[in-house]
Amino acid sequence: MGETSIPLPFGDFPDDVQLCVLSFLLPADLAAFSCTCKRFVSLYRHDQRLWFSMCHRRWGSKTLINRWGSGKISYKILYRILHEYDSLIGFWRRCGDAASAASSSSPLVFFEWGPFYITCSRISPSRDGGYEVIKKPFLWMSVASNGEPVNYLDPDGKFALTEEDLMGESGLAENELIQVNVSFIGECHAVVEENLGFSGFGRDSSSGNSRGEDYENVYGSPPDKLMTEIYQYFANRTSPSGNGSRRQKRKGKDKQGRMRKWEPEHFVKIVNCSPKPARPLQGLWKGICENMSLDFYLVSYDDVGGIVCRKVGDSNRALTYHTPIFWTSNLTFIESPFSPEEDHIYNCRLHLRPPVEADQSLLLSSDCRDISVSHMLYINSSYDLVIPDLVETTANPRQMKGRIWQYENGTFGFGFLRDSYIIDLKHIAVDGHLLDTV
Amino acid sequence: MASSSNTEIQKMIVLQSSDGQIFEIEESIASNSQTLRNMIEDECADNVIPLPNVTAKILARVIEYCKRHTEAAAAGDAADADDLKKFDADFVDPDDQETLFDTILAANYLNISSLMDMLCKAVADMLKGKDAEAIRKRFNIKNDYTKEEEEEVRKENSWAFED
Repeated sequence: MGETSIPLPFGDFPDDVQLCVLSFLLPADLAAFSCTCKRFVSLYRHDQRLWFSMCHRRWGSKTLINRWGSGKISYKILYRILHEYDSLIGFWRRCGDAASAASSSSPLVFFEWGPFYITCSRISPSRDGGYEVIKKPFLWMSVASNGEPVNYLDPDGKFALTEEDLMGESGLAENELIQVNVSFIGECHAVVEENLGFSGFGRDSSSGNSRGEDYENVYGSPPDKLMTEIYQYFANRTSPSGNGSRRQKRKGKDKQGRMRKWEPEHFVKIVNCSPKPARPLQGLWKGICENMSLDFYLVSYDDVGGIVCRKVGDSNRALTYHTPIFWTSNLTFIESPFSPEEDHIYNCRLHLRPPVEADQSLLLSSDCRDISVSHMLYINSSYDLVIPDLVETTANPRQMKGRIWQYENGTFGFGFLRDSYIIDLKHIAVDGHLLDTV
Repeated sequence: MASSSNTEIQKMIVLQSSDGQIFEIEESIASNSQTLRNMIEDECADNVIPLPNVTAKILARVIEYCKRHTEAAAAGDAADADDLKKFDADFVDPDDQETLFDTILAANYLNISSLMDMLCKAVADMLKGKDAEAIRKRFNIKNDYTKEEEEEVRKENSWAFED
């Protein structure tokens, strides 16, 4: 729209009105504003109330702004820190060297906001036969009042930290936990490593990844690109123990001869972890599989108009992450009502569900069996790719083919023609909150 | 004052604009204003409340805003959300600087937080994406920098521009 000839006399507003207006801005616009005159640059540089309001507008509903940095931090610095932490929130998958000691724990982790810190928890399926997931916090990221990151790692999940512990009052953190640094290599790749005297949280400027990547077009790092990034990261480091690639280094020592207590872990962000209207199947799901245990599944849409589903969560089979459970390149859904043949395929299947006590079954109000199927999709399994001696028998297409049945409540189940089960998938998280945690 | 068919007996609050006009509003509507709410609780609201900073024109608009939002809140799920959205969108006329300016001052004085947020956000939107010179024009800010000083400030703030 055209500029009006009468300007709005911003400077005539009382201070608190000015602050209210400015608190709606993002730093880029605020920076431009501060260049207008001397009075406003001082506001930009020093005004705690302004930067506090900006932090509060963006993150006030998620964390307690006034408790970060023991309440003494510069809010301009805090804004920048919280902005960086924002990219950590969500699900990440551990990757890289599978033979390290850390691989005995689940590869799926979840970053979330705490009152004045970020926690990262390992997420694993419970083994009690139900849909519960075990959430074990192991990493706490906070800041000191001067803005320096203070990150603690509890590798074995031994301690249940209280807020006093994190504020350093009990001495627990200093003595028992490992200080770590968390750094980004590109937008979706982070590394957590022991702090042996390096600088704190930051971005590796040599990564060359563009910022502000649109997640619509990101389908996860392909394995070879990831390995290159890891090698580059370690090769470029100018630090006591970082000369050359040390990915294979075990129990390395730095120049001071201190033992490395913990090997670095690399994480890749799981983008697109919930379904969207245009992509109803995408995201992280959980379901009871054929051996009656809970597993996590990640369904991703690829760039050629198809989907792939992989298991996430059993660390012993880290390499099998890349072997799909099912895939399809044809996303044309078939709407109900279905042909009698298809109805038959669906109806004589057993939904894999957790064992339910007899008296509890009456309480199940949203039993999947009662939710009707709204859409159907043809899928292929990779069963034949995994077991080579079945190649001859794949002349029978029933070995490979399967179905997805999408339910009216938005969840879906899948099964293959070679057996008579349906694995029903449920949401792992809704609105950024994990469900069914223990 | 309260009609006999009205089952709820609401206290009426009487306001007087700077130009002498009288406005009677229900207590529920007046409660949108933290300032008036404080007065009601302190029992200073029994007589006419003068508002020397607010003209009749502006006060009428502010009262209309409060009425609409109170009604919508009372109706709950039955409220017409689209209707309210349209009202809010039409409420702010970015071309009428004077009314906008005066309404913001009135909302600030009366301490109506939702109205303040809405209006301040509208003002913030006016300067989004603009450079310093364009902001100066829009907001009538006098540039007291030398060219060198301005360049220095820009450099200092460059981290913010990266995003």
